[in-house]
Amino acid sequence: MELLNLSIRELNKLFVNKKAKPSELYSEIFDRSASSEAALHAHLSLFEETNLEKAKNSDERFSNSENVGLLDGIPLAIKDNINIKNEKTTCSSKMLSNFVSPYNATVISKLDTEQAIYTGKTNLDEFAMGSSTENSAFGLTRNPWNTDYVPGGSSGGSAASVASRSSIAALGSDTGGSIRQPASFCGLVGFKPTYGTVSRYGLVAFASSLDQIGPISKSVDDARIIYSSISGHDSLDSTSINDEQIDLPFDKNATIGIVKELMEDGISEESKKEVDKVIDILKQKGYNIKEVSLPLIKLSISIYYLIAPAECSANLARFDGVRYGLRVDGKTSYEMMENTRAEGFGDEVKRRILLGTYALSAGYYDEYYGKALRARKKMVDEFSSIFKECDYLISPTTPTEAFKAGEKTSNPLEMYMSDLCTIPANLAGLPAISIPTGLSSNNLPLGVQIMSKPLTDNSLLNFSEMLEKELDFNRTPEDWSK
Amino acid sequence: MSKKFDISNIAKLASVSLSDDEKQKLSSDLSVILEHVQALSNLELDTNIEDVYIHPLEKELVLDEDIEKPSLTHDEALSNAPKASDGKFMVPPSLE
Repeated sequence: MELLNLSIRELNKLFVNKKAKPSELYSEIFDRSASSEAALHAHLSLFEETNLEKAKNSDERFSNSENVGLLDGIPLAIKDNINIKNEKTTCSSKMLSNFVSPYNATVISKLDTEQAIYTGKTNLDEFAMGSSTENSAFGLTRNPWNTDYVPGGSSGGSAASVASRSSIAALGSDTGGSIRQPASFCGLVGFKPTYGTVSRYGLVAFASSLDQIGPISKSVDDARIIYSSISGHDSLDSTSINDEQIDLPFDKNATIGIVKELMEDGISEESKKEVDKVIDILKQKGYNIKEVSLPLIKLSISIYYLIAPAECSANLARFDGVRYGLRVDGKTSYEMMENTRAEGFGDEVKRRILLGTYALSAGYYDEYYGKALRARKKMVDEFSSIFKECDYLISPTTPTEAFKAGEKTSNPLEMYMSDLCTIPANLAGLPAISIPTGLSSNNLPLGVQIMSKPLTDNSLLNFSEMLEKELDFNRTPEDWSK
Repeated sequence: MSKKFDISNIAKLASVSLSDDEKQKLSSDLSVILEHVQALSNLELDTNIEDVYIHPLEKELVLDEDIEKPSLTHDEALSNAPKASDGKFMVPPSLE
């Protein structure tokens, strides 16, 4: 039986009814990843042996009706900036090429409790800095829909893994769109939860006030199941929150805002058409639709590229060749650190560290970082005021379909612009999801993004699931293995 | 906003040694990015920096009580050290 295209709930039902076994699924998954890896390079490591054993244990539990829950025996791929105890966490960087984690990220401990199985660690832009997975020190990942194109980034390996059916779903991390953009480029669902609802403990920090772990999956329901498993307060993360979810209507009593600034210049006609398609569906179903304006969104790239590099320059100061990671010798400790960081970090990481160091340096702090923080606060206020009128905001997820490998590597600013639609949700800490809507004229996936106010993750998922059913995208890449 | 910067000084602050080619390339990249973020300079803001939270949901950061809890063992903490000896991280001298 072909199990790879099934949802988590469908698989669980087969396991419970003893019509399929987790170990059969794991073998199918492993055969698939083995055959697609050469073309795609979605993974940095695959855990065949250890996890086949776990899958057999899962078989036993189902056979004895002692199964734990919906994720029992479900193979998930994990972005390689999330720590799994006794496995490598490389962050796709030469700096950490031999780092073996001595502890589990909280999200992994939670998935372990539910007896999920890991297929392996997935490729990313180095330290999650990038939008195409071309910044990996271990080679780029390719888009399963067309291998001339990028899968997006930075969670491009996770998206390529799920799209090629080399895992049932995956974890990614999203600092400026790194879950939603690759999900959109690969025809998948990508969900960035409300900031603070999923613990960042054990996620290698890039920009701590923006980073958030979340799922990339084939369906909204799969994303919901994973979110429900990994979310919750964690005292090991000082930004973790313990607030109750807020319910929004998701039937036709909900009001939908179309973000004017994300339907203007810089957004392709094809991306806009996908939003129009969704709006037509909502109109037919009787939803209230209005155009809304958030003027500061136009400045979100500027705000983000001061705050994220500033936080990155502080977070990556820990890679100094002393406690873990690469060391390149020098006569003094200081020389050793400079040599280590010169050798260990790639171009994009250096670019951001230098930009952040500059934005935080004496004489420029108020002018750059301080100003960006104050502008961010104003953007948060703009969102708060719009959410008094609207329940959900709709926009394209990305300005265009996936771009070709190599197309934007020589122009960092052009690469940054591909995150125009996704960055605002990170700056404001909002839950945001990308769902696939259709294919472009080049036969590449397109998606729309839906945002809602903080702590309305469950309602956002419900609303997105309603749209998902109406859109009935249900397409898979055909040529990934040829 | 000023766009003038000394790439060698920033690299020193960031503890990264750069080749001459890298200095040239990164200077040019940073100029383009700083030119772009210049857009913020015209923005009128009435928010004081003191009123800005680091947490985007405007929450205070919560720290644990200062109580000893189980943590990594000594060996685990040293397990990834590039150089360790006698239970300690080893580094080159700080002074030549």
